[in-house]
Amino acid sequence: MNGLTLHRVRVPRGAIPTVQVGAEVQPEQVLAVRRQPRAPVSVRVTSALHRRPHELAELLVAKPGARLSEGDPIARDGDGHEVSAPVGGLLLGLSAADGSVLVAPLGEEEAVIGHVRGRVREIEGGWITLEVPGVAVRGVGGTGDAVHGELVIGVHGADEELRAAAIDVGATGKIIVGGSRASAETLTRARAMGVAGILLGGVLDKELRDFEAIQRRRREIGGLTGSFGVVLLEGFGKVGIDPQRFAWLRSHAGRMASLFGAEGLLFVHDATPPPGRRTLPRVGERVIAHRRPFQGRAGVLVAELEDMHAPPSGIPTRMGLVRFEDGRLAAVPMANLEATLPVAPSG
Amino acid sequence: MSITRPEPALAAAIASEMSLLVDIGSAWTKASVVGRSRGRWRIAAHLAQPTAWGDEELRRALAARLAPAADRRVADRLDDLLAGAPRISCHTPRRAGRLALAAVSEQLSAASAQRAAESAGWTVQAAAAADDGRSIAERLASLQAAEVDAWLLGGGFEEGRADQALEMASLVAVARNGSGSPVIWAGASSLADEVRELFEADAVSVVANPRPSATREDLVPLRHALEELLQRAVEPAGTRQHTPVAFRRSVAQLARSTIRRVVGVDVGARYLTWAQADEDGNAESRVFATGGLSAARLVTSGGPGRLARRLPIAIDELAVADALQNLHARPGTLPQTEDELVILHAAVRQLLAQTVGDEGADPDLFDDADLLIGAGRTIAAAPRPAQAAQLLLDGIRPLGVTQLALDAAGALAPLGALEDGEIAEGMGALRDDLLVPIGTSVVCRGGRPGQIVMRVRVRRAGWPEIGPIELRGGQLQLLSLTRGHEAELDIELLNGATLGAGRHTARVQATAAGGLVGLMLDARGIPLVLPRRSDDRRAVLAGWRDTFLREPSIPVAETLADEPEAEG
Repeated sequence: MNGLTLHRVRVPRGAIPTVQVGAEVQPEQVLAVRRQPRAPVSVRVTSALHRRPHELAELLVAKPGARLSEGDPIARDGDGHEVSAPVGGLLLGLSAADGSVLVAPLGEEEAVIGHVRGRVREIEGGWITLEVPGVAVRGVGGTGDAVHGELVIGVHGADEELRAAAIDVGATGKIIVGGSRASAETLTRARAMGVAGILLGGVLDKELRDFEAIQRRRREIGGLTGSFGVVLLEGFGKVGIDPQRFAWLRSHAGRMASLFGAEGLLFVHDATPPPGRRTLPRVGERVIAHRRPFQGRAGVLVAELEDMHAPPSGIPTRMGLVRFEDGRLAAVPMANLEATLPVAPSG
Repeated sequence: MSITRPEPALAAAIASEMSLLVDIGSAWTKASVVGRSRGRWRIAAHLAQPTAWGDEELRRALAARLAPAADRRVADRLDDLLAGAPRISCHTPRRAGRLALAAVSEQLSAASAQRAAESAGWTVQAAAAADDGRSIAERLASLQAAEVDAWLLGGGFEEGRADQALEMASLVAVARNGSGSPVIWAGASSLADEVRELFEADAVSVVANPRPSATREDLVPLRHALEELLQRAVEPAGTRQHTPVAFRRSVAQLARSTIRRVVGVDVGARYLTWAQADEDGNAESRVFATGGLSAARLVTSGGPGRLARRLPIAIDELAVADALQNLHARPGTLPQTEDELVILHAAVRQLLAQTVGDEGADPDLFDDADLLIGAGRTIAAAPRPAQAAQLLLDGIRPLGVTQLALDAAGALAPLGALEDGEIAEGMGALRDDLLVPIGTSVVCRGGRPGQIVMRVRVRRAGWPEIGPIELRGGQLQLLSLTRGHEAELDIELLNGATLGAGRHTARVQATAAGGLVGLMLDARGIPLVLPRRSDDRRAVLAGWRDTFLREPSIPVAETLADEPEAEG
């Protein structure tokens, strides 16, 4: 098993942590809570104290941001007259135009959830740092929320497209490993079926944008519930997951995983180290190519060409000769190649 | 096999006469080896490689470049010599300053404040305006969620009172939650004291209102205050070695030493920097921390479509979008196919046009520089100099007669990281190698499409005159004028065209310096106007591209040499 991986959870200003350093936490556990202000109530201050609106600032005894209970003083004049809060809440703003202040009652508590299992290492500067007994795999992009669920494999092969028909009620609450692509329709259906998240090798940017637009419209009309995230491992376009990585994911099917859509990050709990990547591969190493026309294809670097050579784009650069797994031999800029290592490099 | 070891004294002497100039970018590192050759400092070798490859590989690759020409007594010790050589380096800032912004009007005060912040090296993490259509709770939530280094407040005109500005300021006071991060008030000066009251003592600094009225905008004081705050709040250790700052310092020195108005534009993976300096070396810059090739604006909704419409060949919008996203995700990779290069270059042209070119509409930027320098790997290492020239001309549209050059070795920024007293010496020592001249452009504005707008005569001392060359509105013509040669231009402007030097000047005399491309006569206007029909538009764009890539139709230097003098 791998060691511990650090993960930081952002705590918005105004939220109050509910855990302490050293505490063991579960993926669904609340790490902090905050109460968002609701529609504010206007409280006339200067008129109640028979003063002019522009004198508001000097009358206030509570500053914006102060948490008030019902009846707490907001303003006071020199004669001992007071204006008090009609409701409990947050002193939100003041208007020197009419000499009033806004007090916003606080809504229900909202939870900040970490979505990972682990131990609280530090609470500082708006972040809670957790030690996670698992490994992190960083993708190249993603969208959506932080989610967690059981890792399941949704395709037979690393370069197979994840089809809408492959998603059924059995996938509810799970993180599905797709292959080379998923359409906007597939993503929409997955979300509707309660899938927690999807991990893909690639996706067409257009499909992802269409999906995001659908979600935005649904959110606007209030029909969107639950969280959902997508992470891309290799690139944009139809790009399969590297077979080595796919095999590792398959070997960890059934484990708890945490997926952070917007951050393009996946945690697999209690996992062995994943296959690693390293820039500047050496001759003889297995490599994966990025950028078209070989994007996502794996092979072996058989030689590095002497001197600089130009690919069809015309940019002179260091080139490597790669024997791809489909048998083709091609020259590829070294900058577009990464060595794929059986396990992640240490450090 | 016998190996000749260098004599220690020789190695020491070589090491003392060699140094490295290194610009460590977020995606690519550019490095040059500077050495003395026959009593002069020269750039002996330069290269660019992905930053992720590391320093050891950089030295190894530089040593391999130097080896064929190196003294064989030290050839096998080049790596060690490079490791021990003095290094002058600069780097892309580790991260940009992060700002939350609150103002009254999305279109006026917030837009002005955002423009000032984004051109001073800050990124705006959250913005709220009193008229943004959101509830107070939604605005507060977005401000609270943002992780920021500072807060920028604005709003209210100088004549009159905007209480909404005070309301927004109090919202920020709530969101900030006493975090101690600095606050800038850049709104109505009459509200400054009341805004100060909302925060703890010394938290608020007051800057001149960038939007004193609905019709007036002056971003300079706010931009300078934000540049100063960036150094104080985000980079207290100093910014001299930050590439955008170092690049500006080099441009300033170049302007001072050549007594010319110089503009440098550096397009990197993350940053886009524009630096300009007048003849006295007074410099201004615009630093866009998210304006480089991974700029979100390229890939957000509508971005790929806009770009696809400006390609000289038909490429599916979906493929454009994926290529841009891949560039964003892996900025250390290279376009391997022609299509990807075309997309990359279109992206650079669009970024330049939108930030510092004619679409950027920043009235404080020079539009008539004497020298325009292209820097950054995409421009300076374009496969052909003519492609670099097109990136600069199409993206920036420099009005008038402008010499174009490339910072091909990426040495400008590292030299700018030197101490004040050393920059001039460093740049003076490398003056022959620092810039690669690509030629001179003559860009006019106005005139009617299809009608003659420029009539140009080209003269060189001792050679017959070329011309008159007539250019119609929309036309582009390239003439060969090789590096080291100069030509006198007599430019007649017709049908309302102008070169910017006095609106009604009908005749302009200028000197053109040669370069790898030559003389570029550009009557395509400012801004570039393209046909609406996609086939027509593509044909026009392809025509421009082909003009740049074709050998110049009238090779000035060579033709002059071939022609009998009597014809002059």
